[in-house]
Amino acid sequence: MNGQGLIKGLGITFKHFFQKEITEQYPDVMPQLAPRFRGCLQFEFEKCIACGICVNSCPNNVLSFETEKDENSKKKKLLSYTIDFQHCMFCNLCAEGCPKQCIYFDHNFELSSFKREDIKMVYLRPAEMDMREEESTNGQEQQESKEQKQIDAMQKALQKNPGKVLSKILEQEEDIIILSELMQSDEKTAGKIAELMVKDKEKAAKVAAGFVNKAKKNRAKTETAGEGGDAND
Amino acid sequence: MQTDIYRVNVGPIHPSTHGGLHAEAVMDGEIIQDVIVHLGYVHRSVEKIAESRTYQQFVPYTARLDYLATNLPVLGYCQTVEKLLGIEVPERAEYIRVIMAELSRIASHQIAIAATGIDLGATTGLMYGMRDRERIMNIFEMTGGQRLLSSYIRIGGVAADIPDDFIPAVRSFVNDVPQMIDEYNGLMTGNEIWAARMQGVGILNPEDAVKYGVTGPNLRASGIAYDIRKAEPYGIYDRLDFDIPTGSRGDSLDRWTVRIEEVRQSGRIIGQALDNLPEGEIIARVPKTLKPDPGKDIYHRIESAKGELGYYIVSDGGNKPYRLHVRAPSFINLMVLPLVCRGGVFQDIITNIATLDPILGESDR
Amino acid sequence: MEALFVNLAAVLSGWLTSLGLSPIWADTVLLFVKWIIVITIITLNIIILIWLERKVSAFFQERLGPNRLGPFGIFQTIADAIKLLTKEDIVPSAADKLIFKTAPMFFIVVAVMLYTVIPMGQGMEVINLNIGLLFFISIGSLSTIALLMAGWGSNNKWSLMGAVRSVAQMVSYEIPLAFSLLGVVMISGSLNLQDIVAAQGKLWFIILQPIAFITYFIAATAELNRGPFDMPEAEQELTGGAYTEYTGMRWALFFLAEYTNLVAVSALMATVFLGGWQGPWLPSWLWIIIKTYGVILVFFWVKWTFPRIRMDHLMSFSWKVLVPVSLGNILLTGAGIYFCRWMGWC
Repeated sequence: MNGQGLIKGLGITFKHFFQKEITEQYPDVMPQLAPRFRGCLQFEFEKCIACGICVNSCPNNVLSFETEKDENSKKKKLLSYTIDFQHCMFCNLCAEGCPKQCIYFDHNFELSSFKREDIKMVYLRPAEMDMREEESTNGQEQQESKEQKQIDAMQKALQKNPGKVLSKILEQEEDIIILSELMQSDEKTAGKIAELMVKDKEKAAKVAAGFVNKAKKNRAKTETAGEGGDAND
Repeated sequence: MQTDIYRVNVGPIHPSTHGGLHAEAVMDGEIIQDVIVHLGYVHRSVEKIAESRTYQQFVPYTARLDYLATNLPVLGYCQTVEKLLGIEVPERAEYIRVIMAELSRIASHQIAIAATGIDLGATTGLMYGMRDRERIMNIFEMTGGQRLLSSYIRIGGVAADIPDDFIPAVRSFVNDVPQMIDEYNGLMTGNEIWAARMQGVGILNPEDAVKYGVTGPNLRASGIAYDIRKAEPYGIYDRLDFDIPTGSRGDSLDRWTVRIEEVRQSGRIIGQALDNLPEGEIIARVPKTLKPDPGKDIYHRIESAKGELGYYIVSDGGNKPYRLHVRAPSFINLMVLPLVCRGGVFQDIITNIATLDPILGESDR
Repeated sequence: MEALFVNLAAVLSGWLTSLGLSPIWADTVLLFVKWIIVITIITLNIIILIWLERKVSAFFQERLGPNRLGPFGIFQTIADAIKLLTKEDIVPSAADKLIFKTAPMFFIVVAVMLYTVIPMGQGMEVINLNIGLLFFISIGSLSTIALLMAGWGSNNKWSLMGAVRSVAQMVSYEIPLAFSLLGVVMISGSLNLQDIVAAQGKLWFIILQPIAFITYFIAATAELNRGPFDMPEAEQELTGGAYTEYTGMRWALFFLAEYTNLVAVSALMATVFLGGWQGPWLPSWLWIIIKTYGVILVFFWVKWTFPRIRMDHLMSFSWKVLVPVSLGNILLTGAGIYFCRWMGWC
């Protein structure tokens, strides 16, 4: 003490006087952003399947969309998508939930604007999208390939979260667990159910119930209770 | 000579009230007669918001409670929900969570160090503290994508696996911690003016501290080695080796040195977690809709940078909490401000606010 | 080069008398010209000083400081001055308006008056006053009144607290400040600053009077209201102290006056302890500038390193440490002078 601390402090600042500065010269030199950096929310209209996961997962009601049921293909058709960006918390829940990766954060962080309205981003359905869709619905071949695509998507969904998908055709939770387990081990069964679910739901329910009963009987025989399935719940 | 007692409003618009604290000082000349703490300037009704958000949706809001140690309140909330639903968190996620939590603790303490520096007039101390904190912010940006409110910890684990350059960055930071502390000590702690401003200022007896429910570094500075990480270990803290730094006098200088020592200890914890980081899953399989059993309630607490951070959740069986209460350490720690300030001079209010280190986002909620 | 300004003054004076002015009028005009030059130098100096302080403090803190306007950001201060000039002038409705408005003017006038006696080179001063040092100390203490006016006139608790603190601080630090200079006066035997400079021909007083130099440095920091003794302003505690309610150019005047004081006190320190304008090779007016800036840089260094001291510690430090030490220094100096005479050294 007695002034030594003061002199030491002066020494530290003196040392720093000649050290390299740490200032980043923004905007002359743009900052190096990490790959996961979350800047501005971006939306790709053409990829969106209007599933609504993003809208439901958003904590602050930033996202909203309008859909219309297409009469021909009986599919939801996205009309417009709105991002009310001023309420965004940059929590990434929407982007994480999106199955098509059509909503994501880019690296643009210069988000200031002069008017409140400018913050709101409205995406409208591009006209060429309708035209392309019309073309694609023509012809049997394309129809078939479309169906195949739907089956593939259903199969994927079954792998990802079987419980939720199967709850549409099966009522009892226990049955769902058994069936999802069965499908994980047997790809053929999974493919069959997925195909049926796309084409005919009622039939799918019947077939699924059959599978479950068969599995139940097998289990009763071997008495190896499938408790591992609980983890999926 | 006839003198009069006058009242000065320290805050909410004041340079040194850490984001909107309103302390009404009753002064007799330069001597403080009393301090009345008025809270609520940054009230955002977070607990009410929780009732209208699903369990997952509320996660980003918790980051805004203690925004300087952003991962700690998120960790506390996620662990509470996991406890409520009986979710088992994968090993790797637990280790990553500890690393993030301790980095947040260092970040929070570094803000405390930096802010104490500027509150006491050592502007250069502010810059050095912030400079070192910037490296933690870069690490957060690397993992979570955001610097301040990184939104990285999720119910059941963490949002994404750590990137490749994460471990070298954290290692180099942890290795530099002792050097940083030497610098803070050289510039501030060892300084005679600094010691004179802090020694014997704002003494908090261990009895009073316990009586008021003070927790965290403020309690430990009073000489009580109470740390929830040791007393009631959560996560994987029971496997980690670290010390609880304590003070002896309970004054501002002790609170300050305890925080600096905690930075060192957090560095140790991070080092161990990095050494033992296992491979594996980073998030448990959590259903999209969380529906706890109706009527179930739970209280879970963690050691936040400021003290005991607890969440009390009551479920009514829906996907939203029926009631959520946050036991915010800053709120309770702030209640001793009048006690420690009384009898001191005006400048001690600033010193005491700085060393009690409240965060108003958390205490006002 | 050496006698550049002295010769210029002589030429001007000669020209004025050749116009038929009586010597008194010629002197008055000359004095007026000198004042204009002094004020210009002060203003220019401050523009550089504010820039320098920002730059130096930035370097201490590993920042860059102003670097946008002009080379190394040197025109930043000018831009700031323009901004301050064009800002709205707010006078609080509850303020004592006359006092509130005159305080900054008073402060800067007092600060400028300090330059009257400082020798800025060989034979270069506004007035060669035989009680120069006394004049400097007494005028320097007048700035307390300006701060008190500002604090009282603002009708704001923060301002008043800042003002009351500054009065207490300045009154206490006047004493060690004057006492520490007494040793120098005893050795040189004169209050005239030119004589004091001349007395340092062989040896600077910083070597003969090291204790006095340190006490003077500390007391001067307090007198200047600079960190770690910046009680009256104390942004983090008093939200700006006596200057809380001031805006625009009125606030800028306080700022200017503080820097003016800083230069004056540093110049006095260079004059009294560091040999004044004396030095080899370079002209005398350049030497005083170099020495003054050296002292100013030390002031900056101290301010940007230390935390602010507490008010009661500040007072007790003055009365319990600085006053006894400076009194002891006077005793020591007196004994030293007698010893020297007895030995026949001087």
